[in-house]
Amino acid sequence: MSKGVHRFALLVAVATFFLIIAGANVTSHDAGLAVPDWPLSFGKFFPKMVGNVFWEHGHRMIAASVGVLTIVLAIYLQVREPRRWVKRLGWMALGLVIVQGLLGGLTVKLLLPLAVSAAHATLAQLFFLTTVSIAVFTSRSWTNAEPKIFEDANGVSVRTLCVASLALILVQLVLGATLRHSATWDQLLPTGLLVAHITGAIIVTLALGVTAAGVLLRHRDEKFLTRPAIVALGLLFVQLMLGIAAYITRAASPYGAQPLNPMIAVTVAHVACGALVFAATILLTLRVFRVLQVESREVGALAPA
Amino acid sequence: MFSKRAGLWLGLIATLGLLSLGSSCNNKGGGDEGAGTEGGGAAYASKGDEGTISGTIAFTGTAPENPKIDTSADAQCASKNPNLTAETWAVKDGKVANTFVYIKDGTLADGKKIGDLTGWPNMPSSATLDQNGCHYKPHVMGVVAKEEINITNSDPTTHNIHFTPAKNPDWNQSQPNGAAPMKHSLNTAEVMVPVKCNQHPWMKAYIGVMKHPFFAVSAENGSFTITGVPPGKYTVVAWHEAAAGPGTEKTMEVTVPAKGSATADFSFGASAGLQGQPSSLPMLAAIEFPMLHK
Repeated sequence: MSKGVHRFALLVAVATFFLIIAGANVTSHDAGLAVPDWPLSFGKFFPKMVGNVFWEHGHRMIAASVGVLTIVLAIYLQVREPRRWVKRLGWMALGLVIVQGLLGGLTVKLLLPLAVSAAHATLAQLFFLTTVSIAVFTSRSWTNAEPKIFEDANGVSVRTLCVASLALILVQLVLGATLRHSATWDQLLPTGLLVAHITGAIIVTLALGVTAAGVLLRHRDEKFLTRPAIVALGLLFVQLMLGIAAYITRAASPYGAQPLNPMIAVTVAHVACGALVFAATILLTLRVFRVLQVESREVGALAPA
Repeated sequence: MFSKRAGLWLGLIATLGLLSLGSSCNNKGGGDEGAGTEGGGAAYASKGDEGTISGTIAFTGTAPENPKIDTSADAQCASKNPNLTAETWAVKDGKVANTFVYIKDGTLADGKKIGDLTGWPNMPSSATLDQNGCHYKPHVMGVVAKEEINITNSDPTTHNIHFTPAKNPDWNQSQPNGAAPMKHSLNTAEVMVPVKCNQHPWMKAYIGVMKHPFFAVSAENGSFTITGVPPGKYTVVAWHEAAAGPGTEKTMEVTVPAKGSATADFSFGASAGLQGQPSSLPMLAAIEFPMLHK
């Protein structure tokens, strides 16, 4: 397994995380239309970075960098990665980032319609998930792991819990993205969506909590599984606190003269931490599928080496 | 050829793509909306007996303070207008500026409804909205539907003027310093159309779009006058912006005599100034669960 491939995949995942932070800053600063044209900015590659242009064009520059990194990753995997399905995942990541770029342009051209903006925010998280997955699949710990841990066939399997948690987190991310893009900083958030997102937080907490508890109770000696479970739990707790802080600062935002730094910082942190919770859960899920086998059924993890 | 996993991802991408295409349909505004646009309806014939509606907008109680604006994100703004504050409440000696006052509906002395008439004399042909000192001048203005709005940039920085109406189409344009005035019009009556700058998020203006010319914006001393009003009974509304939400409206019935004047004084109190202000800790309403009986 190529260490260089894994390290580069990690670099792309980290760069994507920073891109998510940059994108969240665009929304929190209400800078989405600070540059009214696309793909150029005021007809240039490098406009003057004043006011909200700094956030919008800065986001575009980071996005372009991530796009280039993804091209390199896809080629790198094609050349150095022996597993065909991982190569395909690299090309899929490239396809996703191209669609994401086009969605970003579409949001500007169509003046930020809610569905397109929410889709752009959701796809950002899914692309991040893909880069994290590639980093996981190219890691030594993944290739060295073997499907040797058995789980009792009775009761709900940890695999099922992981997949359910992942799906619920995705729904919660969609709700969060729709909520964020449904109102600018100087408008009150719509109550229905707000209640739905808060309800989603409770459901995700229960689901991920039960999942992590299942891993920690049933496989407490397997650090390969317990570490991501603990990280996911810790991040979930932080995310809940950030969510409360985001609600308080965001509720007060319309009464200010402009988007204020505490609101911006907390809402951006809430988006970023949400991405990390998603990443930790996919890591846990992939590892569970890698090493867990159900005792009374035919053995074999879903994901090959 | 593709694994199940790849198929799932492709399906997700396709779904997102379809969603974005579907959302690109814009149902807003458009010239065919007859209800709010000029055109249609009997023409008004002046009898030379028009009057006026005038009054004063007052504020009772202590006016809320307008917060200072941090303009450091754009050095040109900080340099040109270092003491910029929000303009939500422009109160001086108990009088309120920037209140949009208009005739909402009513009946003329001859029985005709004001909303059914067109061809009003003295329809304004153009208005100007200037970006000056990194805020809009005027902060509140009124236009008639299809009236030409000249947008100018008097600042040494680029602005991005963004109309965000509910009934008219969105409009978003960039205007560098020194650029020629831009022209735009709003074809559908709407109270009020918020205007913002996406580069300088503190910049706000409001435009009232009317079918007729019977509107005014209160001056610094709170006074306003609406001229050329045919004799009749009218519902007059005074709109003032709120920190959040659609703004506060006060309504009054007035009778305009032939060649006479009607007075409409409005007052906004401390409750309007604090309208919608959050409590120290905004909380959601408690969720009640049904009692379970044995």
